[in-house]
Amino acid sequence: MERNTHSTDAGTRDEQPHSRDDRPLSDRVAETPRPAAVWALGAAVLLAVELGDIADAVLSLGGMAVGAVAFGYSGTLSLVSADGPVGLLALAGFGFGLFVAGLGVATWTRVRAVHRVTDRFAFRTRQVLDGVVFGAAIAVATWLAVTLGVVDGLAAAGGAVQSLLGAVADLPTLTARETIPNQGYQTPDGTWHGTFMGLAPAYAWALRVVVVYVYTAVALAWVWVGYLWYRAHYRRVDWTPRDDVVRRLRSHRWGQFGMVVTFLFLTMAVFAPSLATTSAQQNLYEPFSHSIQYYDADTDSVRETLVGTANLQTQSEGYAEANFGPMSYDQYDRFHPAGTLTNGKDLWTFLAYGARVSLVIGLLSIGVSAVLATVFSLFSAYYRGLIDLVLVVVGDTIMGVPRLLMLILLTVILSDTWVAGLYNGGILLALILAGTGWPFLWRSFRGPTLQIAEEEWVDAARSYGQSATGIMRLHMLPYLVGYLLIYSSLILGGVILAVAGLSFLGFGITAPTPEWGRAVNLGREYVASASWHISLIPGIMITLVVMGFNAMGDALRDAVDPKSDDGVASSTEADARGGGA
Amino acid sequence: MSRVRYFGRRILLSIPVLILGGTFTFMVFRFSPIDPAAAIVGTAATEEGVAEYNRVRAELGLSQPVLVHYRAYMVDLFTLDLGQSWVISQGTPVTDLLNTYGKRTLWLTFWAVLIPIFVGIPLGVYAGLHANTKVDYAVSVFGIVWRAMPNFWLAIILLAVLSQSESLFGFDWGGLVVETSLIGTPDLSNLTSVDGFLAATKRILPPAIVLGSASMGSELRIARTAVLETVNSDYVENAKANGVPDRRIVWKHILRNTLVPLVPTVTNEAFLLIGGAVIVEVVFGIQGIGYLFFQAALNADMPLVTALVFVFIVVVVCINILQDLLYALIDPRVGYDAR
Repeated sequence: MERNTHSTDAGTRDEQPHSRDDRPLSDRVAETPRPAAVWALGAAVLLAVELGDIADAVLSLGGMAVGAVAFGYSGTLSLVSADGPVGLLALAGFGFGLFVAGLGVATWTRVRAVHRVTDRFAFRTRQVLDGVVFGAAIAVATWLAVTLGVVDGLAAAGGAVQSLLGAVADLPTLTARETIPNQGYQTPDGTWHGTFMGLAPAYAWALRVVVVYVYTAVALAWVWVGYLWYRAHYRRVDWTPRDDVVRRLRSHRWGQFGMVVTFLFLTMAVFAPSLATTSAQQNLYEPFSHSIQYYDADTDSVRETLVGTANLQTQSEGYAEANFGPMSYDQYDRFHPAGTLTNGKDLWTFLAYGARVSLVIGLLSIGVSAVLATVFSLFSAYYRGLIDLVLVVVGDTIMGVPRLLMLILLTVILSDTWVAGLYNGGILLALILAGTGWPFLWRSFRGPTLQIAEEEWVDAARSYGQSATGIMRLHMLPYLVGYLLIYSSLILGGVILAVAGLSFLGFGITAPTPEWGRAVNLGREYVASASWHISLIPGIMITLVVMGFNAMGDALRDAVDPKSDDGVASSTEADARGGGA
Repeated sequence: MSRVRYFGRRILLSIPVLILGGTFTFMVFRFSPIDPAAAIVGTAATEEGVAEYNRVRAELGLSQPVLVHYRAYMVDLFTLDLGQSWVISQGTPVTDLLNTYGKRTLWLTFWAVLIPIFVGIPLGVYAGLHANTKVDYAVSVFGIVWRAMPNFWLAIILLAVLSQSESLFGFDWGGLVVETSLIGTPDLSNLTSVDGFLAATKRILPPAIVLGSASMGSELRIARTAVLETVNSDYVENAKANGVPDRRIVWKHILRNTLVPLVPTVTNEAFLLIGGAVIVEVVFGIQGIGYLFFQAALNADMPLVTALVFVFIVVVVCINILQDLLYALIDPRVGYDAR
């Protein structure tokens, strides 16, 4: 049978007559535009009040991307131009990379150069040739772009976009610290200077926290409203299986607890700069490059001091004279919602930015290991045999080394490499977690994927001549997405736990980058003293977050796969515990 | 597939795991960014330093060609010739270190496995038999919180609480039953005497409770679910209808079937115990294997680190085989066509 008999989906769909409910979404919206317009207006308002922050995020992401591209470019250039086997190897690798990229382009765009020109070769050969052709085209286009100066033009355009975004980023936002400042000083008559409307810093800070959480709650509610309106006004069908998932989630109390905790945690991570009492740069990273104003009673004047100097006076060291507990002010009129650390830094700021670090590492590692696990499980379920056996052995070996020990070992031996310098060790940690974590996910996916691979529709697609990757992508992957969500959520808690455990032991994230586990370690000696807050508060937060993610994973499992047997210990169970941290 | 064949297949599959694991430790030893010899000698500035460095390199086998070294290394590993420590306890064979440090970890994990089984499972069964009562909710919430608490945090909290037990609870933990300190390695030399056994047990209880915390939470939860499932099953209903007394139903029909999902839980938790042992032993100052590994990793004692990792792999493989064996004994229905 000829392999290329399958036509594109769009082609077959176009031939069918349009039924009333089969028009594209834009037509359905045009018919009853009101709900969509109201929703879009609301969304626009919500976005507008945070435009500055969004532009800022885009700006820094863009900067990172540009940096990564430049680094990759110079790295490839120096490797390819190296002498001896290294250069040859790099050249071969570069060529192969181009080929893969070309194959990717050919597959995704469904443009086929060689197919059009000739059908003298077998289908597979033509596919490979397509990869070569497109890879070469990419190389030539890049080379032309560099030599003809298009790159310079692009750089100029990028610069213009950058300055435009920079201007937008300077716009005031609703939740910014500058909008509701909480840092000031109190003169003897009791009035506050520099804070929002002369409020005491505690109230100004509390107000900002409320504003942030109300804003995120409203935004989330608006998304929910949008979904409901979409269901009511625009969706083609009255019912989809996903509605049942949502219905089951709505009556799952334990899962709702998890969602609330997850929401609180995610907001904390995303809005860390707004929720913290001061900025991380000022208080945690470069306290000796920033200064604050305070009222000095001795000289009866407002004086300026370096944050670092002030921090030295506000250390929590376990006895009443040197302790700044939760909800307290220090002598510089700074408010500490969770007290101070042993080094005088603000614990709440540390926690807020620490949430961000945990989340970035967690999401990155889960993302990478989820991709690996999905691809591996699809391939092993489709082909079985040797590929499955190899994966079983490799996975068993990786899972055979106790997780925490593996993490310690790898962070130690890789601590001097350049990867360890990225994001203060965060990227390295995320990659290590991903590299050692995928077998746990893969084990959980393997069963369901094997079942899916035996379904009739997979056989049918195969007999139609659908390619193997096509079957995996179109007919198997969609059924895995639910499991992907469940186990990712379960594992995310474990990752946060493992990262905290590592930094408790002094591995992984390096100081001064905040990580919750390090705060627990700093306060280790003071648990039974006046400075109990240093260990206790971060510990409670870790416990809550881990519980939250576990609860959400449980709820998703019950909602997506109600028949699943949650009494059976899965391999994720072990991983959801952060390897014993 | 018969039970024996299934079991044989599992054992056969563990051989490539061991080989791959050994290869992994070799790769770490030979190709990691940390040069084991340099970590042992330090920076070699003087001529003697360089000579010493080269001597150590030769002794570690690093100056051999890769394949020759690999072969010698693997042969050593599989004949259990694990080499010696070079940095933290220079010249001591790893097997001797395992002997001294391993006993303490075994003692710790023994209790960490035992306590959850004898506390978590009864609690879970009780909660399951009294489902949806206040006690059930209290026990379930306790299990969930207990399980989510990080070991390192629980450990320091427990330390603090016990060190202040006099003012908090009105009794002094240190002087309770037998005089012991809170931190430090338990003395295992006279376990056979009553006092020695009590002292060693009391010493190990707090770290064992911490180490077993996660297992206890999971075992509680799974025991509860399993009981709930069996309570509603047909054969229990049937037994009830036939007038079998409640006590007999619980012991004979419910508990026995509850054990099935608990076996993999208990063995799965053994995984966590080895990892958790590092943290618990570091916090409680117990000089066990986890502590040894922590120190070895911190000081880049690569020969010791890699040998320990291999030992852990062997231990985990053994646990897995044990799990399969137990599974096969308890539940003959287990799918032997395990793909």
